[in-house]
Amino acid sequence: MKKRYAKSWSLLTLALLLLLTACSGGNNNPPNNGGSTTPSTPNDNGGTSGGATELGIMWWGTDARHEATNNALNIYTSQNPNVTFKTEAMSWDAYWQKLPTLAASRTIPDVLQMDAAYLQEYVTRGQLADLTDIDLSGIVDDTVIENLKIDGKLYVIPLSQNAQGMAFNKEELEANGIPLPQPGWTYEEYFQWARDAKAKLPDGKYPIGDSGAWADYNNYQVGMGGEPIMADNGRTFNLDKDMFIEFYSTYAEFREQGIVPPADRSAAFQENDPQADPMASGVVMTRGATTGSVSALEQLMPGKIGVTTLPTGPAGGGWAQSTIFLAVNAATPNMDEAKTFVKWFITDKEAGKALGLTRGIPISAENYAELEPTLEAKDIIGKELYDLALEKAMPFFPVAAGYSEWADNYVKEMEAVSFGQQTIEQAYEKLNKAGMEIASRAG
Amino acid sequence: MKTFRSKVLPHILLIAFSLLMIYPVIWWVGASLKPAAELSLPTIWPSDPMWENYSNGWNYSNQHSFGRFFANTLLMELGNVVGGVITAALVAYGFGRLNFKLRGMWFAILLLTMMLPTQVTIVPQYILFNNFGFTDSYVPLVLPHFFGGGAFFIFLLVQFIRGLPRDLDEAAKIDGASVYGIFFRIILPLIKPALVTVGIFTFIWSWDDFFGQLLYLSSVSKFTVGLGLRMFIDQFDVQWGQLLAMSLLSVMPSALIFMFAQKYFVEGIATTGLKG
Amino acid sequence: MFKKENNLAGYIFISPWLIGFLLLTLWPITQSLYLSFTNYSMLDVGAPTWLGTDNYVKILTDDSTFTKSLTVTFLFVLVSVPLKLFFSLMVAMALVKSLRGMNVYRTAIYFPSLIGGSIAVAALWRNMFGADGYINHVLSWIGIEGTAWISNPDTALGTLILLNTWQFGSTMVIFLAGLKQIPGELYESASVDGAGRIRKFFSITLPMLSPVMFFNLVLGIIGSFQMFTAAFIITNGGPVNSTYMYALFLYEKAFKHYQMGYASALAWILLVIVALLTLINFVASRYWVFYESDGGKTK
Repeated sequence: MKKRYAKSWSLLTLALLLLLTACSGGNNNPPNNGGSTTPSTPNDNGGTSGGATELGIMWWGTDARHEATNNALNIYTSQNPNVTFKTEAMSWDAYWQKLPTLAASRTIPDVLQMDAAYLQEYVTRGQLADLTDIDLSGIVDDTVIENLKIDGKLYVIPLSQNAQGMAFNKEELEANGIPLPQPGWTYEEYFQWARDAKAKLPDGKYPIGDSGAWADYNNYQVGMGGEPIMADNGRTFNLDKDMFIEFYSTYAEFREQGIVPPADRSAAFQENDPQADPMASGVVMTRGATTGSVSALEQLMPGKIGVTTLPTGPAGGGWAQSTIFLAVNAATPNMDEAKTFVKWFITDKEAGKALGLTRGIPISAENYAELEPTLEAKDIIGKELYDLALEKAMPFFPVAAGYSEWADNYVKEMEAVSFGQQTIEQAYEKLNKAGMEIASRAG
Repeated sequence: MKTFRSKVLPHILLIAFSLLMIYPVIWWVGASLKPAAELSLPTIWPSDPMWENYSNGWNYSNQHSFGRFFANTLLMELGNVVGGVITAALVAYGFGRLNFKLRGMWFAILLLTMMLPTQVTIVPQYILFNNFGFTDSYVPLVLPHFFGGGAFFIFLLVQFIRGLPRDLDEAAKIDGASVYGIFFRIILPLIKPALVTVGIFTFIWSWDDFFGQLLYLSSVSKFTVGLGLRMFIDQFDVQWGQLLAMSLLSVMPSALIFMFAQKYFVEGIATTGLKG
Repeated sequence: MFKKENNLAGYIFISPWLIGFLLLTLWPITQSLYLSFTNYSMLDVGAPTWLGTDNYVKILTDDSTFTKSLTVTFLFVLVSVPLKLFFSLMVAMALVKSLRGMNVYRTAIYFPSLIGGSIAVAALWRNMFGADGYINHVLSWIGIEGTAWISNPDTALGTLILLNTWQFGSTMVIFLAGLKQIPGELYESASVDGAGRIRKFFSITLPMLSPVMFFNLVLGIIGSFQMFTAAFIITNGGPVNSTYMYALFLYEKAFKHYQMGYASALAWILLVIVALLTLINFVASRYWVFYESDGGKTK
């Protein structure tokens, strides 16, 4: 009995061991997780063999976008039978959780969707291919292209028009006899409107929300004629002390007077969550919105919302430009095919029809014209916001490479101010010091 | 009075406590039937229940229904549970009952592997599996379960095995049983409740392992329920009603398994007896 | 019995784990150790730059977020581990009895633990603990005006601890299995000796349950130090970092701020802390944990 067990076990283990050594034998030199100095090329991308190419492509979005994109890819394959696709589609959060891992293991797909918020980090570290030589004249406005360039090079193909503005609760403002916000309002008018509106609103309702994000303040600093906080690809940093203190003192005063919600209410807000969205929950009458996001709000409060611009200064307010792009992996073995494809993606008529408005207002005016008659209420409100924003729009200011942590800390420092844990000056000193340090390292 | 105290009172207390524990779930059921515009209201039940949240949610993706995702997940779970239970028992017996060179050191290492946050090992591990060519497959998700099922379960079983009296082994040894015989005939039957526990936890926890599934599965046809649920959420657009409906459904397999398996894990030594 | 060494059998039995360790775990672990001495972002195309101990020095001497998140985490562990242990043991004792419908009760009570990190939990918890949430409704009946529990820096950590305790099911199930393993004869003979319920609990239940208790304690500590999901999906570390758990800090460093080298150093520091605590636990266990297989010595 004893022997039989022992023998069978040993044999089993031996077999297992052999199998495993065989397995690992072929992989004695796993790449050094970034340890190799040459950018190794992804090995599972199919490559070009016998003229047939399989392009890996990855994007985030809703199911409607997935379906539309798959249809467009099928059209491409029918026009170019030698190119097929390996697709990967997921939600926004999942996408940005997964992409860094793919970058670390050099397995980013050939073509990938990019967002303005993340673009700089990926470009600066050499993950994305230079697409400057793709000719987009006649499809995309030259100024748009110039705006997108980083150190003189274009790394992304813009897909759609986006703009930043404000949404307001039309129904409730009207019910309380409050005049609706007018597009192009100045900061002064905005703050005064909030004071006046507060007097007419019932308890527990607030005309405007608190401000804590760096981009909010950046809009003010630049709108009032100052420098952008991060410029020159993150090499210069400019946080204007006087403007900073003036801006946040106004909010501190508003917090005291109940014009913006108390700190613990503000901290609980989660945009686009039906229970916790500042507007959808019925607590705040206005909030920032973009062409891309306002339709989600419209679905939560159907028929109740109106749109206007962000408050403006002498230099303007808000931005209007593309924020969703296609990019190409810098290490792709299928560079030419990928470049041809990304250009086709925004130009082709049939593709435009298949894609519809699933990535917002198409960048190609021609393709948009085709779609205009089919717009639904939720698309129209986005377009309305875009049209309003155009006049006063400033450039889009992304988080520069290396500043993502700074941008997160900004929110936290301002939160500490709103909870009374530190003064505005103290927050300024910390943020300014941290920002200067990053800039000096980037320089 | 006495029958009240012993027969009725425990039930009243248990029902009250169960309701307290499960209140949020009742809210969840109500919320899963609401249209998005009604979710911000404090009411528990919607004015007009949207049962179609369930049917639309089930067929949300036009490529595959949730039936496919459930089937995928269950199949993966089968591997996880079988692998985890068998190998954890083997390894735990080795650590808990046998004496071998460097046992202490290996056991310490086993525990240490649990203390390093996975966030920093997940990327190198991905690179490893990628080199093996195992991405977009269930292998990276299932294979680790065949290597002892994880330190948590090994340690758990070690504790249970160490809680068993050695006289049992002694008696069997006198009957001529080997270390292997004792494992199969004495230890295994006695730790059955703990093994069922391991099985249930493996099931529930791998159902929840979203990040691993996200990294390793990319084709929609291979999606698990957890990945399927993420399809309802995008940057701005969240299909709340359908999301809540499907995520409620998604915990049902675990709940059912728990309900039916528990009679095994609570059936302790008292009922299996000390026969060996 | 197998007091003498039995190397072959020992290694055969632990081989599944050992092979898995050597094959799948060892390299990632050494890799993370190596990276902790470098400046490395996951997006870097080039090689990581060697920094020596710079990351460690910066963390330990010049990183207020490290201090903050470590404090928050210690506080969390200190309160939630004993609370959960106590609570789950009490409930397990109540649920161990045979009673008609017990499986339904057990499932109902276990249910919160099933929903774990599901996205619905975040929505649910907000519904319970928000400014207009269920808890404040109940409090208003007795005339108390509650705060926005989740988004108030003074109470946010408390609600996470509560959530963690509410999901006590796994700990309870392990206790349940442990309780069922205690031979009934022990209680019978104690009854013959005239022992009351309290004495039985202290002289039979607790010692017999001590290996399982020890397990729950050690794993509770290890797990709580790595608590991530709830902080990630419900509070996102806020407000004002009041729930910025160590694991969340580490995750954001690695995946959001692209500082994998720094994050690895953070991970190894956590490993040392938790390993020390576990070691203390193992040493202390000699005085209170009772192993039947050691012939009942507790020293």
